[in-house]
Amino acid sequence: MDPDTAIGGGRDRFPSTRHSLLAAVTETGAVPHEALEQVTALYWKPVYKYIRLKWRKDNEAAKDMTQSFFASALERDFFQQFDPAKASFRTYLRMALDRFTANQYAAANRQKRGGAAVTESLADDCEPVDGETPETVFQREWQRQVFALAIEDLRAYSESAGKRLPFQIFAAYDLAEAERPAYSELAERYAIAVTAVTNHLAWARRMLRGCVEARLRGVTAGDRELRGEMRSLWS
Amino acid sequence: MELSDSVLQHLRAVVDLPDFGGTRYELEGEIGRGGLGAVYAAFDRQLQRRVAIKVLDGEEEARVIAGLEHPAIVPIYDAGTLPDGRAYYAMKLVSGERLDRYPRGDVPLSERLRLVERVGEAVAFAHTRGVLHRDLKPQNVMVGSFGEVYVMDWGVEGVAGTPQFRAPEQASGAAALDHRADVYALGALLRFVLPADPPRMLRAIAAKAMEPNPADRYGDVPALLRDLQRFQNGQAVEACPDSRWQRTRRFAVRNQVLLLLLAAFVAVKFFLFFVRRL
Repeated sequence: MDPDTAIGGGRDRFPSTRHSLLAAVTETGAVPHEALEQVTALYWKPVYKYIRLKWRKDNEAAKDMTQSFFASALERDFFQQFDPAKASFRTYLRMALDRFTANQYAAANRQKRGGAAVTESLADDCEPVDGETPETVFQREWQRQVFALAIEDLRAYSESAGKRLPFQIFAAYDLAEAERPAYSELAERYAIAVTAVTNHLAWARRMLRGCVEARLRGVTAGDRELRGEMRSLWS
Repeated sequence: MELSDSVLQHLRAVVDLPDFGGTRYELEGEIGRGGLGAVYAAFDRQLQRRVAIKVLDGEEEARVIAGLEHPAIVPIYDAGTLPDGRAYYAMKLVSGERLDRYPRGDVPLSERLRLVERVGEAVAFAHTRGVLHRDLKPQNVMVGSFGEVYVMDWGVEGVAGTPQFRAPEQASGAAALDHRADVYALGALLRFVLPADPPRMLRAIAAKAMEPNPADRYGDVPALLRDLQRFQNGQAVEACPDSRWQRTRRFAVRNQVLLLLLAAFVAVKFFLFFVRRL
């Protein structure tokens, strides 16, 4: 029997069984390079979109500010001051981002006031666009990025484990932008039985869920926060 | 990789669906989502009946409920592990309404109080087994089509509770919660089911159960239930002690037949006394 399809099988063989980033920070007193990479990979896009929407920055300005945030804010103290009992790391990071952008904004205004007093209205800048708040956009972009990274992990794992076909079927069906093909159409395309299509799809979804969990485990402070973040993905 | 909104939505819908491959169950669809996991309707091929299956990240809840056999606690049929490692347990599929959706407009006060009493009895029973609910709220109470009441979603360590029904000590993350957190939630539940302008004594019972300081609440759930019973018997309640006048009036109402007989007896005695004098 394929161990990946056995009850409880395959759990230990996900692309990377990540340890808790914050546990690592606490244990070593230093911020591992991998931890910073994980945070940046997951949060760069949500932070960028959040800045664009909340602070009405154009593309280049938002990129610069995002870059500055990740370059200066994610220091050792930032991780050590995080208290998982108070909020999730995601919420903590967004609050830190708010403080950072507010400080940048104030500094920019001070420079402008060196000449004529030019101040922009913060209230106007915080107006939601198309009925969406910057917070909901941040949440959605976070969900999008979690899945995007997990799909890349799944793709890499499928390649290395000789599971190209299940991934191809998953990509053809679950990642279809237009109308999804029928199972029978996929069966014909790949010359396999319809039941094999559904089995491959079930395997890929199950593995993807595992990849999602592994990605989130890397940027959470323990099981409780991980479960909360997993729930936030589906709600 | 950039995922479109529609693909993201699809992935969120399908990736969390439980894969019951290798089990005796066929997935029918999601019927609810709580703090600890999602609940699905499924068909049990072996016993040819529909069941509810809760899928969660740990097995603790199943073990907690399996140890609670009570008419107001949904019985567990089976438990296991999904291929992706998540735990599940199958239970009776209750047909009825959640209390928060239960139409309360025409429901008499006595029926509203009966619902709270049934919930209270289940919680009190669980407390005798050392189990706290931790997240008692209308969404976790089912009222069946024959009026039966089921308390669901028994909490495990770490449940945050729901703001409107959560005791202050639970909100503050106090390490050692005790049964008085459930007393608070039951008081909130009582307040929830009461009509818009409830009797003063019922308001007082709910308020006492929801005192911010646990020491000021009822000592346990049975004490709260006894006060509800006193109210229904027309007696004074612990939450709202009567003044002397109110006690006299309540005594008179409760014993009006006896008092009328006594008054009649005295009147006859007087009448006979004067007749004999004539």
